[in-house]
Amino acid sequence: MIGRRKFIKTISSALLGIAAPNILKVRSSLGKTEKTPNLESRTLGRTGLKVTAVSMGVMNCSDPAVLFRAFDLGINFYDTADCYMWGRNEEMVGKVFRGKREKVFIQTKVHPNIEKKMRASVERSLRRLRTDYIDVLLWHNHSFPEEVSDRGLFEFMEKMKKEGKTRFTGFSAHSHMASLLREAAKSNYHDVALVSYNFTHSRNLREAVVIAAQSGMGIIAMKTQAGGYKKERMGGLTPHQAALKYILMDQNVSAAVPGVTTIEQIEECAAVMGNSFTKGNLNSLKQYQSFLHGRICTMCGGCVGECPYGVPHHELLRLAMYHDGYENDSLVRESLQIVTRQEIPRCSRCMSCSVICRRGLDIREQMQLAQELLVRS
Amino acid sequence: MFHRKFTILFILTGIIGWYGISSGVIDLESLVPTEEIPEGWALIEGPQIYTKKTLFEHIDGQAELFFKYGFQKSIFAIYQNLKVQENQIELDIYDMGNVLHAFGIFSRFRSEDRPMGVGLDSFLDGSSALFYKGKYFVMLYATEPNPSLLKEWAMKISLRILDHSALPKEIGYFPKNGLKPGSIQYFPEGLLGYQFLKRGFQGTYIEKVEVKDEVEDKAKVKDGDETKTETKEFHLFLAIFKNSQEAMKALRIYRDDLFKKGKIDIAIPTQLGANALKGEDPYQGKVITVQKGPYLLGVVGFEKEKDGEDRLVEFMKNVR
Repeated sequence: MIGRRKFIKTISSALLGIAAPNILKVRSSLGKTEKTPNLESRTLGRTGLKVTAVSMGVMNCSDPAVLFRAFDLGINFYDTADCYMWGRNEEMVGKVFRGKREKVFIQTKVHPNIEKKMRASVERSLRRLRTDYIDVLLWHNHSFPEEVSDRGLFEFMEKMKKEGKTRFTGFSAHSHMASLLREAAKSNYHDVALVSYNFTHSRNLREAVVIAAQSGMGIIAMKTQAGGYKKERMGGLTPHQAALKYILMDQNVSAAVPGVTTIEQIEECAAVMGNSFTKGNLNSLKQYQSFLHGRICTMCGGCVGECPYGVPHHELLRLAMYHDGYENDSLVRESLQIVTRQEIPRCSRCMSCSVICRRGLDIREQMQLAQELLVRS
Repeated sequence: MFHRKFTILFILTGIIGWYGISSGVIDLESLVPTEEIPEGWALIEGPQIYTKKTLFEHIDGQAELFFKYGFQKSIFAIYQNLKVQENQIELDIYDMGNVLHAFGIFSRFRSEDRPMGVGLDSFLDGSSALFYKGKYFVMLYATEPNPSLLKEWAMKISLRILDHSALPKEIGYFPKNGLKPGSIQYFPEGLLGYQFLKRGFQGTYIEKVEVKDEVEDKAKVKDGDETKTETKEFHLFLAIFKNSQEAMKALRIYRDDLFKKGKIDIAIPTQLGANALKGEDPYQGKVITVQKGPYLLGVVGFEKEKDGEDRLVEFMKNVR
């Protein structure tokens, strides 16, 4: 047993390149800590877990100091995955929360595969996390309703629960979230859903979130900051707190897991708890929206109508977004290679476009821009 | 006249061709072995290109990490053993824009020093192989452990990469003495978890410290404890800024931060000069940092003052 512990300690030190004992010693010897946020806990659906409304997406975090800070701030729910940095992310979580396991909830993920491999993946996660149980084990990135209602996948998760390897289960999704949530709400296969959800998303998704939450699923929002902000291009505007507050106004959301990489960011996010969405926040988001409004397609999926001549407006909008939004013409060229291979109908520049953007983007103008890019190619 | 025009055209074509090769401008698809694959194996899926918009579909949320490291595009393919179909090799080649970012993402995935001699640096274990060369980061994953085959595959891909950029110069600044092999990492933001330190490198060092261990049966030892030697780790870091003013600004922020949340030690070693800071960071441990040109270089988490100071002084000499 001692040998195994020593082995884990050695390996983890090697993997993480951190000296946790040093950190822990220093942290306990320094008494100075500034004000803590007003913690707000919410119930994570039928799991009954009381999670902090602002939790933490560990994915991109590289330094254990950020996790220590999050813990000191009172944040109790941490989202990681088996595959992030080939397991190094889980290693870091395991090392930081050694000796504090009962004070935090850990969510990690597994990919659908044959049972032997899924089981091995869960076992590896447990070893890296230095724990006997996972609080929430999710299927990583479901994309189709059939996956959400897959009986075989459900049975595997049930086994994991019965064997005590996880307490609760669910799925994560980056696309088609509304249809997945609606499908998941029909069964009791999933306790938790981790979905991309922010102020740019459509009413359809908001309604699906309500349905899923009412069915007893705990909803965790990721990508709450809508992909980050280019501060320099927006006159110094940083609507991070506003974006987080906006999504937490939806009481169907149990927690948000913004992906943070620095101590400053987690402090900024944690400070949102217990504070209501103000007029200033609204203005801040409006400014950001107006920055996007009429300028960039965010591929939110909220287009209304279709082109009667079959012009694939989604593809062309993407070209315009790469050019105008990302300012990345290499992406434009790449997409053009795909688009020009297909024989697509050209936009006939009708007097008014049949496709309407719910955010007010001038589709006709965007089609014109995309058309120019096509001609140039 | 025609001969002259032809000569100019020939020279121009040569220049463009040379520029293309030297700057590594090559088609990503050309890096994927499609025909020269080991006997008994076949390409069964791909090559599939992924862009900033579609990378999520391939590697889920981890795409964000790649974006932070300047991801441009990637290509993915799966090979299958014709006899044992479950036996597959997955290949990902990422165009990270430049060699610094390619090293950075490589350094985040490499878990220890297990080089295989491919590319600028590499990692090989039973079922995975990683390497970076120029602006490309390559990952190979085998469903069944087969390191020799992975290495063979990696070498084939490496030969196709014509980007011969040198490794980031900052790696050479880190003193070799005590450096844990394969521990240098590059972070595009949030070095040591601090926003104000921005981007930079970090390397891990080993020091031996004496620890007093309480003996369970005190009757056996007169004074009740005995001394043992234990290895501990500390880090050297190099934060990179636009200019020396920015580096000084970050030093001031760190000083304020330590004043509020940690401890400041006024006894700064004289050889570090005036623009130095010594103290105790609430999350990193003992810290000494010094500004030199556009850099803030420092040492954190050390136990023995001398070890930390000596290594930092050596580091300072290397940084130009």
